[in-house]
Amino acid sequence: SQRVGEWLRSQHCKMVKDVTLGQHILIEGYDEDNPYVAKVTRLYGDENGQQMKAVVQWFMRVSELPVNKLKLLGREPHPQEIFYYECRNCDNEVNVESILRPVKHLDSNDPFPDSSDKDTLYVKLSWDSKVFGVVNSTVMESPAEPAPASSPPSSTPRGPSRRVLPTPDHAIMQKASLGEVGCSSVGTPANVEAESLHSATKLSASKCLSAKRRNATARTPGVRKRLELSSECSHKDFKMQPLCRTREQQGFLYISNTKSPEVENEKSPMVTETPRSSKRKSAMVVSSRIKKQLNLLENDQDLNSSGEEEDEFVPSKNDLLSSSEEEGQDEDGPNIDDQVSAKKFRYVATGSGNSRSKRKSYSSARTQRRTPAKKISPGTPKTPRHATPSIPIRSLQTQQPANILEEARARLHVSSVPESLPCREQEFQDIYSFVESKIIDNTGGCMYISGVPGTGKTATVHEVIRCLQHAADMDEIPSFHFIEINGMKMTDPHQAYVQILQKLTGQKATPDHAAVLLEKRFSNLAPRKETIVMLVDELDLLWTRKQNVMYNLFDWPTRRHARLVVLTIANTMDLPERIMINRVASRLGLTRMSFQPYSFKQLQEIIMSRLNKLKAFEEDALQLVSRKVAALSGDARRCLDICRRATEICEHSAADPSSTGLVGMSHVMEALNEMFSSAYITAIRCASTQEQLFLRAAIAEFRRLGLEEATFQQVFVQHQALCRIEGLRPIGVSEGLAVCQRLGACRLLLLEPSHLGVLQHIRLNVSQDDIFYALKAD
Amino acid sequence: MKKSLQENHRENQNVPVSYHCVCRHLLELLRRTAIHGESNSVLIVGPRGAGKTMLLQCVLRDLQKEEKVQKNLLQVHLSGLLQTDDRTALKEITRQLHLENVVGDKVFGSFAENLAFLLEALKKGNRSSSCPVLFVLDEFDLFAHHKNQTLLYNLFDVSQSAQAPIAVVGVTCRLDVLELLEKRVKSRFSHRQIHLLSSLNFTQYLERVWTQLSLPDSFPDKKFAQEWNAGVKTLCEDKSVEEVLQRHFNSSKDFRSLHMLLMLCLSRVSVAKPTIKPADLLEASRMCFADATANMLHGLSILELCLVIAIKHLNDVYEGEPFNLQMVHNEFKKFLHRKSNSMYNFEQPVVMKAFEHLQQLELIRPVDGSSAKVQREYQLMRLTLDHSQIMDALQKYPQCPTDVKQWAMSAFG
Repeated sequence: SQRVGEWLRSQHCKMVKDVTLGQHILIEGYDEDNPYVAKVTRLYGDENGQQMKAVVQWFMRVSELPVNKLKLLGREPHPQEIFYYECRNCDNEVNVESILRPVKHLDSNDPFPDSSDKDTLYVKLSWDSKVFGVVNSTVMESPAEPAPASSPPSSTPRGPSRRVLPTPDHAIMQKASLGEVGCSSVGTPANVEAESLHSATKLSASKCLSAKRRNATARTPGVRKRLELSSECSHKDFKMQPLCRTREQQGFLYISNTKSPEVENEKSPMVTETPRSSKRKSAMVVSSRIKKQLNLLENDQDLNSSGEEEDEFVPSKNDLLSSSEEEGQDEDGPNIDDQVSAKKFRYVATGSGNSRSKRKSYSSARTQRRTPAKKISPGTPKTPRHATPSIPIRSLQTQQPANILEEARARLHVSSVPESLPCREQEFQDIYSFVESKIIDNTGGCMYISGVPGTGKTATVHEVIRCLQHAADMDEIPSFHFIEINGMKMTDPHQAYVQILQKLTGQKATPDHAAVLLEKRFSNLAPRKETIVMLVDELDLLWTRKQNVMYNLFDWPTRRHARLVVLTIANTMDLPERIMINRVASRLGLTRMSFQPYSFKQLQEIIMSRLNKLKAFEEDALQLVSRKVAALSGDARRCLDICRRATEICEHSAADPSSTGLVGMSHVMEALNEMFSSAYITAIRCASTQEQLFLRAAIAEFRRLGLEEATFQQVFVQHQALCRIEGLRPIGVSEGLAVCQRLGACRLLLLEPSHLGVLQHIRLNVSQDDIFYALKAD
Repeated sequence: MKKSLQENHRENQNVPVSYHCVCRHLLELLRRTAIHGESNSVLIVGPRGAGKTMLLQCVLRDLQKEEKVQKNLLQVHLSGLLQTDDRTALKEITRQLHLENVVGDKVFGSFAENLAFLLEALKKGNRSSSCPVLFVLDEFDLFAHHKNQTLLYNLFDVSQSAQAPIAVVGVTCRLDVLELLEKRVKSRFSHRQIHLLSSLNFTQYLERVWTQLSLPDSFPDKKFAQEWNAGVKTLCEDKSVEEVLQRHFNSSKDFRSLHMLLMLCLSRVSVAKPTIKPADLLEASRMCFADATANMLHGLSILELCLVIAIKHLNDVYEGEPFNLQMVHNEFKKFLHRKSNSMYNFEQPVVMKAFEHLQQLELIRPVDGSSAKVQREYQLMRLTLDHSQIMDALQKYPQCPTDVKQWAMSAFG
């Protein structure tokens, strides 16, 4: 009776959206200004009109396309242009509540009109996450037309590839579709109720929590069990299924559809009802539309099938599930394990969904508030502003390296990308398999990579991504989106949000707004999302006092629908323990990897592989460099820089008849000396007489005081005395101060601020031994 | 004529012979960036006045002479003293690269956008197609104090990755500049350092003086030029001149201070007196070495001078411990008692005023810790003069009373 009351209430409200099949609609996304666009291909709902679902064909907005792919378009995209989206692994089922309003659209043949009406969108091309294509007219046809006998070309090549690609989330997808099937295939209303009730659980991700909670008590354990079982069966079935679905299976679905027109009828009014837009539409209009829609549904049975052929994935499962359902119904033996797991699942879903639904309702309220305002202002379409800055093109061509040494130098430059990364095979493999498994499983995860500078952390990750991208291009793994942020390349930790958002969608936003949008994106079940692989370089700079940036970065991957893989890089191994508070460190997890500094053998191998059999170095010289660097830091950059410098020195001394043209020991030694020797001693030797005297005076005064610090006045007294001993004319205080300041500027002395005059304290920045050594040698 | 001499003086800035090697090194390096598109980073380190900037300018001048380079190289000059934080530095870079016309003034909205914008601009380029950019960072050490060293990290990172070719030249006088860099910034720096340390000896120094002063052959009045050069030659051989120069050389090998000295001499040359006399040089040298604070003492009144002397005696007695006005006044009174001369009888407020004047001249300064709460008479002070300065000043003080002089000389008050 309670349910009846609700039903009446919902009827009373008459909150109806005039959504018809085949119509283009806007669907609420994480970006309020640019909602998602889709075409409705099917509508269905559960028993009490609370939860309506729609199966849709997605379209991409310009702003949703990857920025770097836009150039494939070859022209400036129209701000209102949308693209027919052909992608395999996206959810094409949405909650009706998230539908905002229908929009007009124009087909490919029409030119872009000049009007800036925000509600008119233009479809010209299709997009399959790699290339643009011409939209096949059959897929764009209005749903009223009969489906073509052969399946549309856009879906044909997908048959085999679908099999190759493991589906992201079997369980979720199947359960979701299971509910769907329940609506359409089972004839009796009671069954429908139970089944769709179940579907509500499955669709918890799509914000149908309230209904579920209300109906939780109404569930009969028997039905639940049976459904679980059947889903289990279907799972197996699906795995054994031959890759191409047959027409018979398709047919089964049609039949099931035709068998239950009453169910459809009963539901379709609910389809059109949502608790919102009632203010806009009068009841009369609504009812007439409902009638129209009912007619549509009843008259064109093919309509659904043609629609379903477009959404490639879910329907195929529908078939499978509906067949397996039959089997499942015969089985009566309840499996306790299944039941337990089902309970657990429900519990989790409810718990996690609670807060989300609240947030959702809040944001939808905001959307509504904002939408009218948008309409009033006839502003220009909001496309992200992309200034295209670039350094001017050089007027003369670069010269190619002319001789062996120049060639070697070009190859040894840190920036030149080597074909392979030697000495990091193990790390490469680990990261590769980590990311690959996450992409294939469609889950998220974090990894922390540490190591001293110049050990190839970033290079290895880039290499991994390159390989994965290649694999994705070859269709070996699902495609993914790679973004990279660097803590050093932003001015403030909160800018990370802005950069992530911009790299994901091309939008610009303030840090706070970006954080909200990202939060929404990662926590909601967003449609047609590919896995995002994010590289966070120089993680330690994202530290803030509350650590909320880090927290979010590591929290997002744990969300169910985020599909986010975060690879973080920093220098220190114990960063999580040192600077992160517990809840952040815990989310980062224990997937850690540490890059050891290169050993001399590895450094040698790196140089060899870079040189690639180019004979420019003597064997000993290479060994010397790599041993020296390995002993000091193990920094590959340093190693390459020294080698580069050595080639320069070699080139300079090429005029020397004794030189062999190869970089030898002497050149390398010179380069090493240049880079590693400290200049202090030479600086002291080159200082003027008075400066040297002053240093000696300082030491003498320190000895006298037994301290490492003295005021200028004290040192100056010693200095005067030393001047007399050396037979020089004593200098004045001003001159003495000038001498002192000069030494301070070179940092041979450490000084207090100079306004203190003779009272400033003086300390040495070099060891006394160094000074003695330097001065004695003269 | 004088003007042309000064001009000559200014222009005569060639790289000394000892720097030719590093000069060639730097030239090669920058030329490779310009022509081959090879990214580089280098630091020029040397004490003040060693000719770092001059070296760089010579190199750039030579570089600009080559036609291939001329069209290819963009230059960005930044100074740590002008661009005190990364925000202003980024704006300046954008301005100097003429990138602001691409975006209007929109990009200057926020620091973050600006950085992202510039990085994108640099990233877009690649080694072969985009124009090399030369970044000259004057007072490089000051850039290392910027927050997170963002600018340096990004510049060095660009120079080590396959983006637009850039050359980063840092100029600094700090020998320990590498220790200022964070390790990830340090790792990205190529560790090329050019140390400019002038190891010239006195004969070279004299030669330098001679070349600086002599007129070139291109001087219009040949006869005058010959006379002038002969005059300079005799000047350089003069014993007293040599002594003065030696003293300067001992004090510093810095060419800038030498130029200063020679400029002072040169300014005394006139049509009536067309040569530099040794006396001019001595006078100029005296001016250069003049002690500024000692000169300040000459302007003090007798009372203030007496107070300074009293302070000196206090310092002798208490070995440099701080003093206050009351102590100084007592010391002064003791001196007056002995003399029983009414000439210096001053009221307490007058003494206080004189004391405050000394403080304003910063001849005495309050001890750091003492707070303003203490009455002014008891505020602890320290003398910022050396005793030798006081004695020198007394010798030269015009019409200094003998008893004051004697009091100052006496070992105890």
